[in-house]
Amino acid sequence: MAATDPHPLSQPGEAAIRFEAVTVERGGISILDAVTATVPKGSSTAIIGPNGAGKTTLLLALLDEISYQGSIHIIGNGTGFPVIGYVPQRLTFDRGMPLTVNEFLAMGFQKKPLWFGIRRDLQRQSLEYLAMVKAEHLAGRRIGALSGGEIQRVLLALALRQEPDLLVLDEPSAGVDFQGEHLFCELLDDLRRLKGFTQLMVCHDLPTVTHHATHVICLNRKVAAEGPPRQTLTNETLTSIFGMHMGLVNSRSMPNDSAVCTAPCCQRPPHA
Amino acid sequence: MPDLSPLYALIAHLLPFECMQARFMQQAMAGMLLLAPMSAAMGIMVVNFRMSFFADAISHSAFAGVALGLIFSIDPNWTMPVFGLVVGLGIMLMQRHSSLSSDTVIGVFFSAMVAFGLAMVSRERSLARDLQKFLYGDILTISDGQILCLVALFLVLMSFLAASYNHLLYIGLNSSLAKAHRIRVAAHQYIFAGLLSLIVMLSVQAVGVLLVTALLVVPAAAARNFARCAGSMFWWALLVGISSAITGLLVSAQDWARTATGATIILVACGWFLVSLAVSTFRKERTA
Repeated sequence: MAATDPHPLSQPGEAAIRFEAVTVERGGISILDAVTATVPKGSSTAIIGPNGAGKTTLLLALLDEISYQGSIHIIGNGTGFPVIGYVPQRLTFDRGMPLTVNEFLAMGFQKKPLWFGIRRDLQRQSLEYLAMVKAEHLAGRRIGALSGGEIQRVLLALALRQEPDLLVLDEPSAGVDFQGEHLFCELLDDLRRLKGFTQLMVCHDLPTVTHHATHVICLNRKVAAEGPPRQTLTNETLTSIFGMHMGLVNSRSMPNDSAVCTAPCCQRPPHA
Repeated sequence: MPDLSPLYALIAHLLPFECMQARFMQQAMAGMLLLAPMSAAMGIMVVNFRMSFFADAISHSAFAGVALGLIFSIDPNWTMPVFGLVVGLGIMLMQRHSSLSSDTVIGVFFSAMVAFGLAMVSRERSLARDLQKFLYGDILTISDGQILCLVALFLVLMSFLAASYNHLLYIGLNSSLAKAHRIRVAAHQYIFAGLLSLIVMLSVQAVGVLLVTALLVVPAAAARNFARCAGSMFWWALLVGISSAITGLLVSAQDWARTATGATIILVACGWFLVSLAVSTFRKERTA
């Protein structure tokens, strides 16, 4: 099973993003305090931390949506400015808008106004990307009529279509049920292997992180720890950022001090 | 100035009604045929960006614009659109750089403009006579010069929409997403606000301060109900806008009606909206 065995695609040392002393203050309150962290190239990096830890703020700084002190280096593939595909936490939009998924996927790419129709080749491409996220049946639907999970898939197709060097996801599975979340993360793992992009996501859910991340940044206004999940998600780290003992991950129960997930999905019989 | 009589002859020929033989009716029709598609197409984006209050604020600054013209003895036909443009860009600037919510920002501008206009009217009694013209609009007194201005604006605005319709839809849907997609959000928003201010000010002359927003919003709202996708929404808005303009102008000129032109046009458009509501309800019931 691909999802339980996340091998990093990266060579050690190569970075896709370097956050250097990123500091954000709002109204005198410090939201991020000199955050210095690295996202390895080709990795699936997860930012974890409690509510109000500044996870989303760090993403917004990366996307240049808010002003910050310090610097963020995004290293692309050498050619031009690196392309960032962004999948927001929850797309807030006007659901009454008559906009089809096909149009939604075309409007950032097509110069010709949509009133003259969508170019054939773009339509075919849209279908390919929708198929990639297992959502080809949604092409003709109105975007306002989609469920939360379906919108997440369409947003992922839109982000992938930009052929990103870096895929940024803000809680990709918020509003998706557990089964859906697991499938979504597996899908992302497969796509990352196929396309070779770097993935950076904010995640609340520790089992998801232990399964799908190759690199973890533990954030609570500052970086508490950083590294591969099984070495990083120790009781000490988790207690220090979440402020209490987290029962989900037990680092003592396995050899080599590696962490293991105690969530129901990992409690399957060994031969299943 | 180019001679517009062939255009008027064409209008009289295409609409062979008794009332359309008068020159002022032909001019009014030419004006409305330019205004209606512009406001309908911009209206789609006004609804998309939830900017109808913005349009309202601009239209209410019309009188302040005219007052300024009279104070500095400049032709109010120029000061009004220019003032509207300044107010529109000012609101946009405030919205983008202030932590206040956009309706609060607009509310402040709105009251400042109305208060300034009223202060001027109370000082200069002669202005009060013009007030009614701006409240109800007067398309029947449109001049050749104004029609030529409309033609120029029509060309600029339609080229802008043709080039940016998709990106404007994108920004209206979710601006962070559009920005991450490397679309120049700020530039689009400023150009849109500027053009919207101009079209609002020119529409004030046609349908009056009170009904400008309706001219923008009603065709777009009807189009939303009729259309199944964002592409056809554009054509529906044009159809509703233009047909309402023609019907409204013709009806208002009939002896049995003799109603204000602007109000009649809006009433026809609202009739369209009711039909669209029925269509969308029927469609929902069938899919349910």
